[in-house]
Amino acid sequence: MIQVNGKPMVWSEGMTVSSMLKEKNYIFAKIVVKINGVFIPAEKYETTSIHDGDDVKAIHMLAGG
Amino acid sequence: MEKRYQRNMKLMTQDEIAALKEKRVCVVGCGGLGGYIVEMLSRMGVGKITAIDGDVFDETNLNRQLLSEEALIGSSKAEAAKTRIQRVNSEVEVVAKAVFLREDNAETLIAGHDVVVDALDNISTRRILEKACSACEIPLIHGAIAGWYGQVTTIMPGSGVFSKLYPETAEKGIETELGNPSFTPALVASIQVSETLKLLLEKGEPLVGRLLTLNLLDHEYQIFEF
Repeated sequence: MIQVNGKPMVWSEGMTVSSMLKEKNYIFAKIVVKINGVFIPAEKYETTSIHDGDDVKAIHMLAGG
Repeated sequence: MEKRYQRNMKLMTQDEIAALKEKRVCVVGCGGLGGYIVEMLSRMGVGKITAIDGDVFDETNLNRQLLSEEALIGSSKAEAAKTRIQRVNSEVEVVAKAVFLREDNAETLIAGHDVVVDALDNISTRRILEKACSACEIPLIHGAIAGWYGQVTTIMPGSGVFSKLYPETAEKGIETELGNPSFTPALVASIQVSETLKLLLEKGEPLVGRLLTLNLLDHEYQIFEF
């Protein structure tokens, strides 16, 4: 099990940031992702693994005013 | 007008209302967020408000910017803020600065204020503002919006929040895809004003080290720790 924005999510073998975002239906490209407090750049979403027990934050990037 | 603040009396003491009249708040941006922010701060009785914005109104502002009117298209947003504040509360001292905040003028513009409120619409200027607020040791109330989504946090000098919130090369967020409706800036601005009051009156728990995110579409409201 992992935590995504404070809510539990079932973890699966081979989960990456990309696959997690797709599964959660976070469809917007501009999103800020951190795993266990570490910021993950967008170009690494496909290759960054999420491990069982990880604490993931995925926050949409907002800059309007 | 003695009864002006009567409805504030349950929220604030007489002394607090008097204290607010001595406070100085700088609002950077007089668009979607800023229009509501200056409106609310002036109604609460903040003594001095500086409204900064180098932009003029255009037709695309009419869907959400409180200060925008058809007759004001082409006019200064900062000057409109000043006019509105003076009509709402003539006791407030207003300074309108019809300029864009930049690296070379940021500290001069914000110096001498008790709190600065971020009502900007891009990330690079926000970084400049955060740096200036740190240098001048002034807390900054950050707000941002996009479609159904919003966020607020209170940034104390030196805490370097934007480097945690935005990737280094980012300039805009999902507002480029979602646009901005009328209700999201009103809500986020309200929370920013509430945070401002908390700092000015030293009460309650401001969002220091925490980011409040709002998702009005799905009714998800979360607070993330930095």
